[in-house]
Amino acid sequence: MTSSGDTVGASRLQPALGSLTSSPAVTMALLFAPLTLVLLVAFVWPLGQVLLNSFHPNTPQGIDSTRWTLDNYARLIDAHYGTILARTVRISLAVTAISAVLAYPVALFISRRSPRVQSWLILAYVTPWLVNTVVKALGWTILLRNNGVFNSILMGLDVIAAPIRLLLTETGVVIAMIPGHFIFVLLPLWTAISSLDPALGWASGTLGASPAATFRRVVLPLTLPALVVGLTINFIMNMTAFAIPMLLGGVRNEVASMLAYQIDLVSLDWPLGGALAVVLLVFTIALIWAGQRIARLLVPSPGARE
Amino acid sequence: MILAINILMLCLVLSPVILVVWMSLTPTASFKLPLDDFSLRWYREAFSYPAFVDAFILSVELAAMVAVVTVTVAFLAAYGLVRLRPRGSDAIQAFFTSPLLVPAVVFGIAMLQFVNHLGLYNNLAGLVLAHVVIVVPFALRALVATLQAVPEELEWASMILGRSRPQTMLCVTARLSTRGLVSAFLLCFLMSFSEVTTTLFMSGPNLQTLPVRIYNYMSDRIDPTVAAVSSMVIVVSLALVLVLNLVGGFRRLQGH
Repeated sequence: MTSSGDTVGASRLQPALGSLTSSPAVTMALLFAPLTLVLLVAFVWPLGQVLLNSFHPNTPQGIDSTRWTLDNYARLIDAHYGTILARTVRISLAVTAISAVLAYPVALFISRRSPRVQSWLILAYVTPWLVNTVVKALGWTILLRNNGVFNSILMGLDVIAAPIRLLLTETGVVIAMIPGHFIFVLLPLWTAISSLDPALGWASGTLGASPAATFRRVVLPLTLPALVVGLTINFIMNMTAFAIPMLLGGVRNEVASMLAYQIDLVSLDWPLGGALAVVLLVFTIALIWAGQRIARLLVPSPGARE
Repeated sequence: MILAINILMLCLVLSPVILVVWMSLTPTASFKLPLDDFSLRWYREAFSYPAFVDAFILSVELAAMVAVVTVTVAFLAAYGLVRLRPRGSDAIQAFFTSPLLVPAVVFGIAMLQFVNHLGLYNNLAGLVLAHVVIVVPFALRALVATLQAVPEELEWASMILGRSRPQTMLCVTARLSTRGLVSAFLLCFLMSFSEVTTTLFMSGPNLQTLPVRIYNYMSDRIDPTVAAVSSMVIVVSLALVLVLNLVGGFRRLQGH
């Protein structure tokens, strides 16, 4: 009795649900609609608005949306802003360069451990990344200040006589940013190295190549694309970092993101802030594109060159 | 040499986190090494400071809401991508993960102007939306990987036996992806709980999450009280990471 009742109920429901199940287009629309809506409202719209605002003049009464101008972009070309941009690039390049040097020793070391140890080591690198940046900045303050851990250790070892000033300097920002964004270089490189066929190394060794030659002629060319992708992301993260440069570098070492904060939340000049945001975004996307192009060019084609 | 580089790098990565916990346990206001005595007085201090307690509650509420909304919308979208294989699914997925391309500062500027335009300044809804956008690419990737591992035949069986697609999704697919759903939830929670840059740009004075509150406090002064609050953040994050690791969330995050 009950089962036949169920069947009747189900068949009655079927036409209503049929529209959901039989037409793939409708099903698809229903599945994609919520996320698409969220992204259109809270992502595409805000970015579009910033883009539009950056072409309107700022007046004492607010943004004048009836007039169009390129003035905000022209205002970004300024000696003071140039200094800030140069500092941002300098810090970011230093961090990326040091990360590039450290990437292979660390990734190779990890990939040669047993799977168990590997996952623990990766966890040790990933976990601090998932901890709040502000909290880590506090840790770096304890490490870097004049009577901090760094200086205490160096003075205890008699390397230096007097404490070096690291807090509120560019050097301090670079030191704190290296481990903060290292994960973006390490993860792709480690994945690429782990997925290499171990037979490649054996073959190279059997054919008489030294470990150094194997690394230079086999491992490096095959994993360089992954390193380039990682370094691109690392550089972008450095260029747009906010909390670490602000808390460890201070306002005297202003970088691009701090300038954006200054313009948008202190001067409240949104068209100018919008122009800066657009420039940063275009720069980021261009860099990601370039990084992927370079990575693709670096993929060795089989049978190419000696 | 290589071993030394690795040890140094691990120290650099782990030491800031360890030192914060260490500082929070010091009995005196000035932090000195080595530590020979410890006390929990700064934790009492932190709990008696309502600004931190309120911010902590706000952060947890926000992270929970963000995780629920994100996992729901990302699960539906991932199901559509994996099961219905629409034409141009690569392009659709690229659109869904495009927030990854936008630096937090740029998104913060955009959201600041957006919430003010809509009169959502100081409103929790604006903050939830912003965080959902930031974490959704990660959830989507994890859930696409999860769904690819769920055998489609079981869903066909369910539908042949008379269950509709929505019923099948809920009773079969979702149940078979429990681990993936839990790790996506934890990951979203964790990322929202740690988000600072975008939040700092767009949140008004009445809507300060814990990271923002710690940031503002630290811009003013540094003492063991803020270390105690930070240590609690670390403990919460660590606990979530451990659970995430147990359910195998990291492997999914890397898309294996």
